Amino acid sequence: MAIRLQRLPSASPAIALAARAIAILLALVTAGLLLAASGAQPLKLAQQVLKSTFGSGFGLEDVGLLVTPLILTGLSVAVALRIGAWNIGAEGQFYAGAFAATGVALFIPGPTIVMLPLMFVAGALGGLLWILIPTLARAYADVSELITTLLLNFVATLLVYYVATGPWLDPGGHALGTTARLKHDIPEFIGMVHWGFPIAILLAVITAAAFSFTRWGYEVRIAGSNPQAAKYAGMPFRRHLIVVMLLSGAIAGIAGMLEVAGTVHRLQGGISNNFGYLGIMVAVLARGSCIGVIAGAALMAVILNSGIILQTQGINTSTVLAITGLILFFTAVGDELAHFRIVSSKPAEA
Amino acid sequence: MDLIAGILHTSLLAGGVLALAALGEVLAERVGVVNLGVEGLMALGAISGIAAVVTTRSPTAGFALALAVGFMVGMVFAAITVYLRANQVLCGLALTLMGTGFAATVGKAYSGIPAPATFTGVEIPYLSSIPLIGQVLFTQNVLVYLIYIILPVMLHFLMFRTRHGLNLRAVGENPAAADAAGIAVQRIRFWYVTAGAALAAGAGAYLTLAFVPSWSEGVVAGRGWIAVALVIFAGYRPLNAVLAALLFGVITSLGFVGQARNWPIAAPVLSMLPYLGTIAFIVVPVVAWHRMRQAMAAPAALGIPYYRDLR
Repeated sequence: MAIRLQRLPSASPAIALAARAIAILLALVTAGLLLAASGAQPLKLAQQVLKSTFGSGFGLEDVGLLVTPLILTGLSVAVALRIGAWNIGAEGQFYAGAFAATGVALFIPGPTIVMLPLMFVAGALGGLLWILIPTLARAYADVSELITTLLLNFVATLLVYYVATGPWLDPGGHALGTTARLKHDIPEFIGMVHWGFPIAILLAVITAAAFSFTRWGYEVRIAGSNPQAAKYAGMPFRRHLIVVMLLSGAIAGIAGMLEVAGTVHRLQGGISNNFGYLGIMVAVLARGSCIGVIAGAALMAVILNSGIILQTQGINTSTVLAITGLILFFTAVGDELAHFRIVSSKPAEA
Repeated sequence: MDLIAGILHTSLLAGGVLALAALGEVLAERVGVVNLGVEGLMALGAISGIAAVVTTRSPTAGFALALAVGFMVGMVFAAITVYLRANQVLCGLALTLMGTGFAATVGKAYSGIPAPATFTGVEIPYLSSIPLIGQVLFTQNVLVYLIYIILPVMLHFLMFRTRHGLNLRAVGENPAAADAAGIAVQRIRFWYVTAGAALAAGAGAYLTLAFVPSWSEGVVAGRGWIAVALVIFAGYRPLNAVLAALLFGVITSLGFVGQARNWPIAAPVLSMLPYLGTIAFIVVPVVAWHRMRQAMAAPAALGIPYYRDLR
C-alpha cells in the first residue's frame, strides 16, 4: 500500500466548506494565542464578546447595523468576482456613494419620502462613477482593475475628508470635521436597525437570482470561468464585464448611502470603518456566492463588533483588521488544501 | 533656484521609498509571483525601524531589523504561495491586512514620537559645492546611492546579463520549460519572493527613518500599492522601476511644495496627486504605445502557481 496525495482540479463543496470552517477556527485560535502572548486573556475576552453580542437585544442590534454595509460591500466584490474581476475598491465606491448621497441631501430641498429614493439613486451613481475609469481601462486596455480600483480608495477617502472638513463643514459648528446632520433618516426596521438591512438582503437575493435564473447571469458565469470559451461561443464578454463591474461599484455606493442616511447621519472622514476591505473578506468567505455573502457578512460583523466591544481592553479596529488578515490567510491555505485527497494505491503486482 | 533644488531633494527622498519597494516587487514578479502584501510589509518595516531606533538610537539597526522582519515574513508568504501554492491574490491581501493592522496595533506606543536618530544627509566634499545639482545629489543620506544606483544596476546586470538571470526569468515566463531544463523552479521562486519582501520592509523603514521621520497610523498611505503599480508601468525592469519611482517622487514633492507655499489648492486635493498620477501612468502607456507592449509585458506565468504534475 502506497499513500500519496492527489490534487483534484476542483475541490468538492463539502470538503471546501469544512476546510474553510477549520481555517477560520485555526485563525481565531492563532489570534487568541498571539493575544495571550501579549498579556491578554483571550478566553475571558471571548466570553465577554459572546455575552455582550448575543446576551442582549442591543448587542444583536449593533451587529445588525454593521452587517448591512458588510453584506453590500461583500456583494459588490462577489459580483465582480463572478466575471473574474477583483474589485478591491469597494472602500472608495462606498465613500463615493456616501458623498453623492450627502450632496443630494444637503443641497436639494424636498420631503424625506422623495429625498430618500433620490439619495439612494445618487449613492448608486456615485459608486458607479467611481469604478467607471477602472472598468473602461480593464475592458479596453486590459489594465489590472485590482490596482486602479484600489488606488481610487485613497482618492475617495481624501475627497470625503476634504469636503467634510472644508466646503461642507457643519455650519452650525456642532461637530468637528463632519457635515451638518442630514435631515433625512432611513426609518427603523427592528430596534435600532434601519431598513437598509432588509434592502441589503433583498439586493443579495435579487443578484443571486439574476445569476442563477437569467440568460445574462448564465453568460456572465461562463465568461467568468472561461473568457476564451465565452468569446468563442459568441457571448459579448466586454459588454458583460463592463455591466458587471459597474453594477459592483453601484452596490458599494448604495452601501455608502445606507450607512450615511441610516446609521451615521453625517458625512465624515473614516465613515467606512474599513467596510470596503472587509467586503473582500466577506466575498472570499462566501466563495463568490451572492447568498453566501449574507453568512460571510454576519461572521465579519460579529468579529468587527468584538473589536468595538473590546476597545477598552486595548483592542481596536487595527487589531480587528490584523485578525481579519489572519483569517483570510488561513482561508487561502485551506482552500488550496481542500483540493488534495489522499489516495492509497496498491503497487501493481510484478 | 532654491525651490527647484528643494523639490528635487524631496523627490529623491520620496522616490527612494517607492524605488526600494518597487525593486522588491520586480524580484517577486519576475519569478512569477504577485506579492500584493507590499503595503503590509512596508507597514511592518516602518514600525520595526522606529521600534529599533527608539531603543538603539541607530537608524542602521532600524533598517537592518526591518530587513530581517521582511525576510522572515517573506519566507512565510513564499512558503505558502510557492510550495503550498495557495492563491497569491488572497495571500497578498491577507498580508496587507495583517501587516497594516499589526503595525498599527503595536505602533500605538510609538505614535507621534519623532525618530530619535535618522538617516541624515552626508555632504560629499567638493561634489556637494557644484551649483544646483551638488546640493541635490551629493548631500543625501548614504542609502540614496544604494537605492538609486548600486541596487538597480546590480539587479539589472543579474537579470539580463548572467546565466542565473536567464534562469530566473525563465521561471517567471515558462516554469514548465525551466523545470525540464533542470532549473529548481520552486527554490528560485521562494528565495526571490523572500528577498523582495525584505526590500519592501526596508522601504517601510526608509520611510520612517529618513523621509517622514516618525511613526503614525496609516503612515504608509498606499505607497505599497503605488509601488506595485509602478512595476507594471516600468515593464518589470529594475532600472525603469527606479526611474518611475523618481518621477513619482517629483509628483509627491510637488504636493508638499504646494502646501508649504500656500497654493490655492486644498491640501487633501494635493495629496490625491500621487494616486491619480499612478492611475494615469498605468493606463496611458497601454493606450498610447501599443508597440511597446511585448517588451514591457508581464512575465507569462505571473500569478500562476506551478504544479509539476500538471506540466
